[in-house]
Amino acid sequence: MSPYGYRMGLLAAGVVAAAALSVSVGASTVGPTDLVELLLGHGADPVAEAILLQLRLPRAVLAVLVGGALALSGCAFQALLRNPLAEPYVLGISSGAAVGAVGVVVSGLAVALPWLLPLGAFAGALGAMALVLQIARSASRGRLDTRVLILSGVIVGAFFNAVILLLLLMVDAESFRSAVFWMMGNLGTAGWGSNALLAALLLPAVLVLVSLARPFNLLLRGEEVAHHLGASVARVRLVAYLAGSLIVAAAVAAAGVIGFVGLIVPHAVRLAWGSDHRFLMPASVLAGAAFLLLADTAARVVVAPVELPTGVVTAVVGVPCFAALLIRGGRR
Amino acid sequence: MSRSGRPADDGGGGPTLSGRGLTYRHPRAERPALLEVSVEVSPGRLLAVAGPNGAGKTTLIRTLAGLLHPESGEVRLGGVGLGGLGDRDRARMLAVVPQSEASPFPVRVEEMVEMGRYPHLRPWERAGRGDRAAVEGAMRRCHVWELAGRELGGLSGGEAQRVRIARALAQEAPVILLDEPTAGLDLRYAMELFRLLAELRGDGLALLVVTHDLNLAARFADRILLLDRGVAKAQGRPTEVLSEATLEPVYEWPLRVTRHLGPGVDAGAPQVVPLRRDDP
Repeated sequence: MSPYGYRMGLLAAGVVAAAALSVSVGASTVGPTDLVELLLGHGADPVAEAILLQLRLPRAVLAVLVGGALALSGCAFQALLRNPLAEPYVLGISSGAAVGAVGVVVSGLAVALPWLLPLGAFAGALGAMALVLQIARSASRGRLDTRVLILSGVIVGAFFNAVILLLLLMVDAESFRSAVFWMMGNLGTAGWGSNALLAALLLPAVLVLVSLARPFNLLLRGEEVAHHLGASVARVRLVAYLAGSLIVAAAVAAAGVIGFVGLIVPHAVRLAWGSDHRFLMPASVLAGAAFLLLADTAARVVVAPVELPTGVVTAVVGVPCFAALLIRGGRR
Repeated sequence: MSRSGRPADDGGGGPTLSGRGLTYRHPRAERPALLEVSVEVSPGRLLAVAGPNGAGKTTLIRTLAGLLHPESGEVRLGGVGLGGLGDRDRARMLAVVPQSEASPFPVRVEEMVEMGRYPHLRPWERAGRGDRAAVEGAMRRCHVWELAGRELGGLSGGEAQRVRIARALAQEAPVILLDEPTAGLDLRYAMELFRLLAELRGDGLALLVVTHDLNLAARFADRILLLDRGVAKAQGRPTEVLSEATLEPVYEWPLRVTRHLGPGVDAGAPQVVPLRRDDP
């Protein structure tokens, strides 16, 4: 088998293993033996079956979708901005998407029209990205300054978090719980219907981004070089920004803001197997899925019976990674 | 179009890249970076573009490559206006080696040269035997085949420059523009690089080289274009352009033009020797 196929097989096996672990661990006593019995088709205990099929399995599928999506969007933003620290959460794009989604929730339309949620998130993501890029461009002399860009993303993200809290408290003084959901992410709301909607939104955008692997490789060498090598730079950028934002918006609408997946996962894949996007992007999708499955499992069991927001776990892993990249980048 | 990417030629060898009356102004700039500049990059010819810093040499390359759009004048490649060519079509005919580039992530030499095949492949198409042959041929020609698995960041300046030129050769474009390819290279690398360019010229490629090294230009170029503050001050054979009367006002520095002493084919070529300001 080619090294490409071998590595992808390895990652896919990792996703399956992480999913099996995630589904068989939890607050109730339902465990691995129930999963094995269900898979073998033995008439399992109906309560166990309901917990597995209606709670844990959709939750695992949501982790796969959101983890893969966020990791892929990290690859895209890092290539577009030629910035190793670029990531939807750090850039404030996730928070923008959350504001858009919260706006739809607060308006009361989300119950009747569930597809409005990702649409509002998409608008919020695009708005946040335009704002962050505009601030960063105005603040850097000449070429877009890497550190200024990250700083703009962080302050815009902080502002949007305040807006989320404000919007939610205006409608209901008790809504701290949902504010925590939007700001730190949680996969507990997973259901088969919402998963299907999410998958339908993600699939085309994921295919578009993966098809841009070769232009992304060229863009890493700079926009001028990419032009000379025959890439249609303006079109690639526009398409990739739209697809990347759609992915982030769909993921945030389904699971709230979960940070750093787009930072940790592509960097781990690059460290292991290099930065060719033809491999990096599909591999990051699988690695992101496995990573978020593990992170979500940890979020459910670390302080059980209390459940942590998933974003807490990813931040605990992600912030040291971010700091390490920042220090290494500053030394260069 | 053949698999090698060489388009049907117009008469002699490959296509000619020509700019007519090019004027370009940077956004919010008062004076134009290029004013009414005309150039012709012809098959089997090496055109050197020289001039002081800020003369518009890089702007000329970017305009000829379709990266900047002139406010007047037109760039034609093989008889077709550059605007009428798609990006990939253009890149199969015209390769550019810009002055410098950097990547936020490490890249291997082989991956770098493979990028030259981009305009030859459709979005989901895999590199075929012809593509691999083009990449290997370009790497061998630039003596970087042995470096294939190395990371670009670990190479010397001369090696990295050869990799960038190999990437342009892998494009198999009949016209190549190079922006100061010898900047920062020692004399051996600089001589080797110009020797490679002379070989490519012998193969019928059309070449334009921006360089600060007037003496290498005098020895290797068929023609020299001397730019000064966006204006073409002189254009012609090295012996015509490289004279004290032409160069001194452009560089605002006293100099003498002597002859190359030989031995070798360059004997007699004009050589420029700057004086000290206080020399008699």
